Amino acid sequence: MSMFKVRSLGVSYGGVHALSDVNLDVAEGQLVGLIGPNGAGKTTFVDAVSGLVGARGRVELDGEDLTGMPAHARARRGLARTFQSSELFEDLTVTENLRVTAEQPTWVRAFGETFGRRTPPPSAVADALTTLGLQDFADASPAELSQGQRKLVGVARALAARPRIICLDEPAAGLDTTESAELGRRLRAVADAGTALLLIDHDMGLVMGICDHLVVLEFGKVIALGPPSRVRDDLAVITAYLGASAVQPADAPVPDGGTPSSLTTGRPGVPSSAPETA
Amino acid sequence: MFGTQPQQAPSILPSNAVTVLGVTTPVDRFILTGLVIAVALALGALYRWTRFGLATRAASENEQAALLAGLSPNSVSLANTLLSALIAGLLGVLAAPIVQVDSVTLPLQVVPALAAALFAGFTSLWIACSAGILIGVMQSVVYYLSTQSWFPTDNGNAMPGLQQLLIFILMIIALYVKGAGLPRRGEVVEQRLPAVPLPDRLLRPAVLATAAAALALIVLPFDFRQALTNSLIGAIIVLSYVVITGYVGQISVMQLALSGTAGFVLSHLATGLHIPFPFNVLGATLLATLLGVAAGISALRVHGVSLAVVTLAAALAMEQALFTNTSFGGTAGVTVPPPRLFGVNLGPGAAFRGLDGNEPSPLFGFLVLSVAAALGLYVANLRRTGLGRRMLAVRSNERAAAAAGVNVRGVKIAAFAISSFIASAAGTLYGYNFGSVSAVRFTALAALGLIGFAYIGGITMVSGAVIAGLMSTEALIPHALDKWFGIKGSWALLFAGVSLIVTLIANPDGIAGANHRRKKAKQAARAAKAAQTRAENATPDTAGAETAPTPAEVAR
Ligand SMILES: Nc1ncnc2c1ncn2[C@@H]1O[C@H](COP(=O)(O)OP(=O)(O)O)[C@@H](O)[C@H]1O
Ligand SMILES: [Mg+2]
Repeated sequence: MSMFKVRSLGVSYGGVHALSDVNLDVAEGQLVGLIGPNGAGKTTFVDAVSGLVGARGRVELDGEDLTGMPAHARARRGLARTFQSSELFEDLTVTENLRVTAEQPTWVRAFGETFGRRTPPPSAVADALTTLGLQDFADASPAELSQGQRKLVGVARALAARPRIICLDEPAAGLDTTESAELGRRLRAVADAGTALLLIDHDMGLVMGICDHLVVLEFGKVIALGPPSRVRDDLAVITAYLGASAVQPADAPVPDGGTPSSLTTGRPGVPSSAPETA
Repeated sequence: MFGTQPQQAPSILPSNAVTVLGVTTPVDRFILTGLVIAVALALGALYRWTRFGLATRAASENEQAALLAGLSPNSVSLANTLLSALIAGLLGVLAAPIVQVDSVTLPLQVVPALAAALFAGFTSLWIACSAGILIGVMQSVVYYLSTQSWFPTDNGNAMPGLQQLLIFILMIIALYVKGAGLPRRGEVVEQRLPAVPLPDRLLRPAVLATAAAALALIVLPFDFRQALTNSLIGAIIVLSYVVITGYVGQISVMQLALSGTAGFVLSHLATGLHIPFPFNVLGATLLATLLGVAAGISALRVHGVSLAVVTLAAALAMEQALFTNTSFGGTAGVTVPPPRLFGVNLGPGAAFRGLDGNEPSPLFGFLVLSVAAALGLYVANLRRTGLGRRMLAVRSNERAAAAAGVNVRGVKIAAFAISSFIASAAGTLYGYNFGSVSAVRFTALAALGLIGFAYIGGITMVSGAVIAGLMSTEALIPHALDKWFGIKGSWALLFAGVSLIVTLIANPDGIAGANHRRKKAKQAARAAKAAQTRAENATPDTAGAETAPTPAEVAR
């Protein structure tokens, strides 16, 4: 019985079908990878399930229908996410960034607090910082962090909400190989502790290494799914994705909302094992 | 030099009239309409087909990409500024005989134009041009209707303010249809607000400043006492901007109009309904707060510049429909009786007269000071609480805030409520201060001036609000300049305008922000030095990581 259920999700921008009829299931404590070339619709998928973009279809968490709920209501029910370009709250320190998600009081409570003294951060904040190894940056401002550290803070911010599931949009972009492997270990630990994760990333070493299950997206459609070993062997995937990225192994991070990312598909793929060597 | 009196403008266009469908219309009206369309056509062609137009569109779409393509967004922007000034000047000269030329009405003619621009989302010339003409026609129709006998009247004159109300409502409709709840992905929300430092300690500076002000209220001569009281009221109004603009990033021009509304309501509650002192203030403040929240809710789907325009329209609507309406306000002013608590007069005419025995009474100063201190503390503390963090999260990034579980609309409504409450409270004090409330003090133009002062002082900090209050009209600084150096208020305003531009370019955090940064740098330097000496004295591993500032802190 899956905890997070997406059924026939569809998104169109004007006439472009960015997503059509996507189904996806994540069970408690499961780490599911969502991969696909640039422009496949991975970010759109996360935007749609988190309520930031209007979508057709159905999203369910713990048996509750989230469809039609605004983004903040979904987040409060345990659906957390990170952003491809971090999107930290630049005016707040790292700890304060995490407190925004960790504290979700009622309105009466929140208003009452404005008359009181300052309160210490809830334990979820320190826990999340420790989990991501960010203790030393607790009081830093986001502007002082490197791109990779900002990504980690984004993950910590999602984790601080103690959510049921986190959708991670390219958390390893901007990290070097060792950092990426380190992040992989930390994410695996988070999943093993019971939080479901949906991991989007171009680092095939990371994705193949830690995921329980993979879903491959291309042109807004699911073209393959299954355990990593099987997906790796799937011919369609090799030509659509691995072959193409074997030609360009280092995926430059593509900023959100830019011009349509160059579609690396359609090129004759050179089946290669290069991406899996990490 | 030019004066505020309407100037008779020489007509450039022919002034003869033609008769169309039985209505006599001066020819220049047609020519003007045609000219507007022609200019729009020419501009459309310019932006569509020339290299300059392409560069402009590229730069407005994506500055970075334009830079990479070898275009300079700055020079493109400069050229466009010159072009718009040229066109505005041209149309201004041609339209001068029709619209009144005086320094008060002309800037406010801008609002209908901005409404048209809003319809077009600031990008489509075609929609802007047709919406502009339509709005003009609708205003004329309202004007025509107001000359009819059935039209509601106020003291024998046609009901004022309906044109402004119409524009505000039109804007709300347009934005409701066009606006989105949250910005879309990749939509850059222009954000140029200064940082909001976390105050370390509140009580000590608050107590010190309050004590100093209280002492000053007793020992200062009466005119400076009055100026100090004015400064404090000004500071309270600016506090409302600190919340709504400084913390939440929403540029709201209507706060001063809410002050005015509260002042007028107070007068009615006190003189008409004979409600006694703390209750009439409370009632007036809450009523005006409700109005502010209602206007805020109707503008929830708007961001950035558009919000400034909508709230400017709201301010104008309040100004014209409420303040100039003689049954509610009126330019002549309505009286506000002094506050009395248990029979003791607390107003400016109270019995206790300070050292020189003149009015205003320091007692009233104390009343204002205690309100200012309480609200200042509240606003400073707000930054350190959960609601304050959520406000800043919304200011930084609405999408990320929503995804983090923040109810973005709720936070904005809360901010409008708090900010409107503060502005309204200031309005009641205003009424007591002068013993009356009059429309001229709460105009949209005055509001824009006050926002300027808020920026110079530092719009994200309470200390910035205090500085802005000291600079505001008839406050301590202009009074001292006038008294000691004979520099009149209008020159001070000009100076303020220039320093606003300097502030925006060179020091966007305002005076208070610059001060805070200096202090932080000094602290960091001290901490670094202390850590160094500790490191020299102690064994390496006890000079613990917890006492040494992180490199980040030192860098700040
Ligand atoms: N705001 C938008 N308007 C129009 N098209 C968009 C928008 N955002 C994304 N797209 C398009 O939707 C498709 C999927 O994009 P995206 O979800 O960013 O892919 P991915 O994250 O897999 O790289 C792309 O073709 C992209 O150009
Ligand atoms: Mg993406």
